[in-house]
Amino acid sequence: MTTPNEVDILLVEDNPDDLELTLHALRRENLANNVFAVRDGEEALEFLFCTGRFSGRSFDRHPRLVLLDLKLPKLNGLEVLKRVKQDPRTKSVPVVILTSSKEERDLVASYNLGVNSYIQKPVDFDQFRKTVKSAGLYWMVINQRPLSTPAQIAAAAAQP
Amino acid sequence: MSSATINGERKNGGTSRGLRVLVIEDAPADAEIEIAELRRNGFEVYADVVDTADRVRERLARTQYDVILADYNLPNFRGMDALDILRQKNLNIPVILVTGALSSEIAVDCVKQGATDYVLKDHLARLSASVRRALEETRLREERARVQRQLADKVEELARSNTDLEQFAYVASHDLQEPLRMVSAYTQLLAERYRSKLDETADRYIGYAVEGATRMQALLEDLLAFSRVGRNGESRALSDANIAVNEAIKNLTIALKEQGVIVTCTPLPTVPADRFQLVQLFQNLIGNAIKFRGKAIPRITVSAERQGEEWVFSVMDNGIGVAPEHRDLIFKIFQRLHTRTEYPGNGVGLAICKKIVEQHGGRIWVDSELGQGSNFRFTFPAAAADRADKKEQAHELYAQNSAGR
Repeated sequence: MTTPNEVDILLVEDNPDDLELTLHALRRENLANNVFAVRDGEEALEFLFCTGRFSGRSFDRHPRLVLLDLKLPKLNGLEVLKRVKQDPRTKSVPVVILTSSKEERDLVASYNLGVNSYIQKPVDFDQFRKTVKSAGLYWMVINQRPLSTPAQIAAAAAQP
Repeated sequence: MSSATINGERKNGGTSRGLRVLVIEDAPADAEIEIAELRRNGFEVYADVVDTADRVRERLARTQYDVILADYNLPNFRGMDALDILRQKNLNIPVILVTGALSSEIAVDCVKQGATDYVLKDHLARLSASVRRALEETRLREERARVQRQLADKVEELARSNTDLEQFAYVASHDLQEPLRMVSAYTQLLAERYRSKLDETADRYIGYAVEGATRMQALLEDLLAFSRVGRNGESRALSDANIAVNEAIKNLTIALKEQGVIVTCTPLPTVPADRFQLVQLFQNLIGNAIKFRGKAIPRITVSAERQGEEWVFSVMDNGIGVAPEHRDLIFKIFQRLHTRTEYPGNGVGLAICKKIVEQHGGRIWVDSELGQGSNFRFTFPAAAADRADKKEQAHELYAQNSAGR
């Protein structure tokens, strides 16, 4: 694990066993160096909005990827997604839903809220590993992100 | 006299025995005669006599009357005012106007406005019959209301149980799959890490555990797909069955090519159906025809013919067929006739077909003999617009799919 300001991947997952599996899969692909895990929706928002115990974090150094479970204690994944995508300071952060459900209503709600990708966790562990690897490589290596800070991106969006 | 009680006070909402009458009348003698007339005809009458609107309201608040006898025109009260008071209080008590002289226009008008009947004071012999009829009408109306309430309750109950089912499916999707994934994943991790340290039997057991978890997940997915049919099939827009079949064939391209299947499709109608469900229906049926193929090259023919107010579709194949005793069984969920090694699957496909067809007001069945191929047939109501058009479509055969040779 890593300090909150160097995080590449924010993992939002409440099940310790599930968390370990995902970390295991990321580790194998050498993607786990800068992973930070939070256990519920509230903590995820505190992290992303630099409040509470993450008040020392900076908006200029957002994670490159948020892996978000849908079923979370306190505040569910959809609510977290909504808040992140509604706020100009955080809307450019890529959020990928990683869940067991592929219920149409979850998919529709997620896409309506502006999710960047929706992944169903496969039951088969090999499949799961491949999925995490693909998603990790895609967002960490293949995907290009702007060099501007979230504040600059938001400012550019505000200009006519 | 403003209010008098004849035959003493009764308890509020008294027993159904006896007739509770509110007489709105300023001439005590007239009231007496009316009550006597009812008694003479076998009614056990409990009557209150009043002659002002305030008294009427007061009495109505205290007693549940079976009938109101109102004089049409009193100095302080018009008979029809009783109807307004009843409406305000949301009461459903029949009002019979009992009056000296009344023109037939006014009488008809009163009945139009909600009076149950009118009886002239010099024809009081009619009163008992009129009261009986009013009571009977009230009873019927209450009965009808009761049945309607029951129906509404049942509808609500059904809606609730549908919601419960939906909730169950949702929970199954989320909560049941999680632990399943854990069982599967950690068994696989165990196997990986300790492969060399465990013996062959252990490896086999681990294999079974993973297989079981994977199969259970597939079952959950299928159960969800089945429950989804009920939840997403709201649309009754017109869907072109030709497009649906094409879509289904496109989704099955790999299997069709692999097996060298020849699909023939005659022109199909447009039916009031959910587009996605129609695709799923054809896809499941054509998919089954491929899966349960015989030794010969699979040939599948999709067609439809008009029979009265409905279209009868047919998906016919030259596959292994269905024995007569299994023709109903195959449409039940999780019902399988073969082992998983013979034919993979969970036995949900045809159950979904049945649910889709029935949800659109149709029927599904199979005409088949073992080893003689199957003809799956189902009906859809004809679209309202083409019901008038009695001309049958020409059934010109054309090859829809060139995936075969």
